[in-house]
Amino acid sequence: MAVSALEAASVPPIVARARQAARASRFAPKRLLGLLPLLALLVAWQLATWAEVYPPVLLPSPERVAMAFVVDYHDILFNALASVTRVIVGVSIAFCVAVPAGLMIGRYRTLDMLSDWTIQIFRSVPPISLIPMALLFFGIGDKPAIVLIFLAALWPLLINTIFGVRGIERTLIKVARAARASEWLIFRDIILPAAMPAVFTGLRLGIGGGWLTVVTAEMIAVKSGLGYMILNAQLTFRSELIVAGIVIIGAIGLLADQGIRALRTHVCRWQEGLTAAAE
Amino acid sequence: MTGFIECRNVGKTYDSASGAVEALRGINLDCAPGEFVCLLGLSGCGKSTLLQIIAGLESASDGAVVIGGHELDGPSPLTSVVFQDHGLFPWMTVRKNVAFNMKAAGVKPAERAARADELLEMTGLTAFADRYPHELSGGMRQRVGIARALTTRPKALLMDEPFGALDAQTRGHLQEELLRIWESQRTTVLFVTHGIDEAVFLADRIVVFSPRPGRISAVVDVDLPRPRDPESAGFMALSRSLRHKLVPDLQGAPLG
Ligand SMILES: Nc1ncnc2c1ncn2[C@@H]1O[C@H](COP(=O)(O)OP(=O)(O)OP(=O)(O)O)[C@@H](O)[C@H]1O
Ligand SMILES: [Mg+2]
Repeated sequence: MAVSALEAASVPPIVARARQAARASRFAPKRLLGLLPLLALLVAWQLATWAEVYPPVLLPSPERVAMAFVVDYHDILFNALASVTRVIVGVSIAFCVAVPAGLMIGRYRTLDMLSDWTIQIFRSVPPISLIPMALLFFGIGDKPAIVLIFLAALWPLLINTIFGVRGIERTLIKVARAARASEWLIFRDIILPAAMPAVFTGLRLGIGGGWLTVVTAEMIAVKSGLGYMILNAQLTFRSELIVAGIVIIGAIGLLADQGIRALRTHVCRWQEGLTAAAE
Repeated sequence: MTGFIECRNVGKTYDSASGAVEALRGINLDCAPGEFVCLLGLSGCGKSTLLQIIAGLESASDGAVVIGGHELDGPSPLTSVVFQDHGLFPWMTVRKNVAFNMKAAGVKPAERAARADELLEMTGLTAFADRYPHELSGGMRQRVGIARALTTRPKALLMDEPFGALDAQTRGHLQEELLRIWESQRTTVLFVTHGIDEAVFLADRIVVFSPRPGRISAVVDVDLPRPRDPESAGFMALSRSLRHKLVPDLQGAPLG
């Protein structure tokens, strides 16, 4: 076993070092570079309000927006929670439908032939354009909003899952067949994990789409949520609350995306060092 | 016939978009239990196709394969396959990869773990049990593939150019290890290669293929004593005669 000893000495340290580097860079000060454009924007905004480029009724100063977070914190929190809950419910239902369906469609050619055109047609319809119909069917309330979020998240999740299954190496399926693995085991231990990175891509897109949709839907179909809050603030001439709403929408969007990425890194640990990471 | 693996007049024609390709014609082959048989031939003469048929992964268009007295209909529990590009699952650790065939065979988790550890030990992989395949060298990956194939105590190992992608030195080590395993387990081995020296080093019997359509052109018994010395006169003489057996193919077909 001379060769084992040789390999033991040479291979793992390289891998260990690469891992260390990957871990360190995730928390390096470099990461804070992302704050730079945001700070620049804040400064520009402050300067613009000092110079009164627009009257204060249209463009509130950063301090007034910050104050809105203090004064209206209850309102903001309540509405943010309403929006987030809707997205979680809608995207969760979409996930439970799209992932199993995508795994099956990706695996079985006949299902693919059956569903391909339908998927391509329906995914081209923006969920927003379905608001009038959703209102007719479900009235005002949570239901139409959740249905629209579901539709917004369904297609990216479905399409990415199918894509993920298609990308599986043929040899791996052969290995499983040669070992006489059951179809259930093939789905659970091979197709699902192989498709997982693509499923996460779908989830990121789905949550993004769902979040866009909820804000729009709330301006029309519901009487709570950040979309509703913003629209209401416009009617009462509270521009600082509008901007506060926009800020919180963006912040939650960023947070959700970061969360999914962290989850993906954890679940797809095996990919570490397998794919080319950006330097 | 008394073979453990018997091919009776096996033929295979692929229907591809560019027309039908006759990959194999009239293959009759008989491997005794415990025998080490190498399938030797140039690229494209149907060696992999035959191995896939015997593995139950492709169906024969003609004839039949009998393994352990039963006519083949899908993958047999008596055989295990070792793939050329190792076929390890990148999301499973080495230990889980090794245990997969047992899981597929419905072996209980506790027994699986014990047997996996046993095979990891035997192939010198214990220290790497919790690594992912991409963290291993090519030679170690191939060892994992062999360990996985052995876990279910197969009566026959089907290996398709398992060492084809390795450097000469690693290949030499793995050949010796494979022989050690074969001698201790007494499994039948069907080993595809296009390396003449590899075949002479390993095999009890070498089956030479010729292309278009793929068929058996010669069967050579290797009577050299083991362990074999590639520098010995007998070894070199046999290699030379095998090279001549492959040469007629070269005249009819372009190299490549
Ligand atoms: N799935 C397939 N569809 C169509 N033709 C195929 C298929 N697989 C193999 N063939 C054809 O069958 C013939 C034999 O192929 P095979 O892979 O068995 O050869 P081989 O002896 O293993 O070659 P190599 O040494 O290059 O691996 C080739 O002409 C090949 O093009
Ligand atoms: Mg081949």
